[in-house]
Amino acid sequence: MGQTARPGPTARPKYGKVRTIGSAIAASLLPMALRGVWQLKKLIVSYCDWGGSSRGIRAFMESELPTFKEKNPQLEVVTELIRGQHPHLKGFYKNKNERVVCVKNMTPEDILLYATRLRNALGRKVVKLKTRHVTKHPSVQGTWTTDVKF
Amino acid sequence: MAHRRCLLSLARHATAIISQKKMPPLSAVEVLTRKPNPAITIPNSELSWFSFWSHSRHFSSSKSEDSETEVEVEMEEASDVEAENDNAASDLGRDYSPEEKETEAVAIGYKVLGPLQRSDRVFKDYEPVFAVVQIGSHQFKVSNGDSIFTERLKFCEVNDKLILNKVLLLGSPTQTIIGRPILPDAAVHAVVEEHALDAKVIIFKKKRRKNYRRTKGHRQELTKLRITDIQGIEKQEIKTDGKPLKAAVKNPEKIAAAV
Repeated sequence: MGQTARPGPTARPKYGKVRTIGSAIAASLLPMALRGVWQLKKLIVSYCDWGGSSRGIRAFMESELPTFKEKNPQLEVVTELIRGQHPHLKGFYKNKNERVVCVKNMTPEDILLYATRLRNALGRKVVKLKTRHVTKHPSVQGTWTTDVKF
Repeated sequence: MAHRRCLLSLARHATAIISQKKMPPLSAVEVLTRKPNPAITIPNSELSWFSFWSHSRHFSSSKSEDSETEVEVEMEEASDVEAENDNAASDLGRDYSPEEKETEAVAIGYKVLGPLQRSDRVFKDYEPVFAVVQIGSHQFKVSNGDSIFTERLKFCEVNDKLILNKVLLLGSPTQTIIGRPILPDAAVHAVVEEHALDAKVIIFKKKRRKNYRRTKGHRQELTKLRITDIQGIEKQEIKTDGKPLKAAVKNPEKIAAAV
């Protein structure tokens, strides 16, 4: 199940025309997009080189971070050293949303799972869903009323 | 009669052993060719169980109208099928190394994994066509450009193209095609937008005056699909104004497609 290269920044202009149409209507609705465009722009991996809570993330940076970077060439991954603090992952999305996940005392596999989750998600605010079906045109054959005769 | 009953019970044990050890049927067939007329020996001797199995097969091949043998043959087949199903069920929870298993499991969820997007013009303008599609156990009435939140779909990554092949109904302003229960030629194309977690719901249990209180948090894993195309129905040609045709002329002709 190897992931191949994603459409990078060069692919964006091709969807640009459709995307502007979507964004004009989407302004009134939930923030949409990801029409073939990745929403996570930057991922900051913050760790401490002394603390014990950073052991997992230090192992993650050695073992799994390079493969994660290769699988996501569109993503800008930055490692940051913060001494004396717990480690965390910060994700920056296209809609200027930031998501911070504290990864203290986690195994490298769990950290990879959280990093993948950040990459898979849109940057929208995590709220309870009103409906599972979001549409702009609810009716094709006309909305039913009591006067409609078949 | 008691003699035959003993053989049948031992043959049943033999079939149970065979199904556990997953003996290939070919060897039994070879044994059958080698020993066409197995002697009805006393079952106390520890012969190979092939002879007993072939003996029971001999009964079935001779097409005796004995209800016991027929039931026993069905039990053999049922036990073999159950063994295979159990193996398949245990494998589904683990890594799906063969890709065929992935496609099979994907078919259970009524979607076919297409290739990843490579600069395709998949996102079209709205077309006045809708379809009722089933994913897992949930059904949605979708149209071009809608978003659907379903349970987490395994075997597909973000930015994957899917084909939802369980389509129950297709509709347009002039035509409706009803499937019985599904339409075989219809296809709904979708793109995976995100795999995300829902907001946390807190499951709170309390029994009053009994000193019992439990709090549990739960986040459901969801997949957001964006519907891009619906195929299987005639679409009206949209004029170059860019505005979709309004359903002013409503002549719904219902066509039932027998499956």
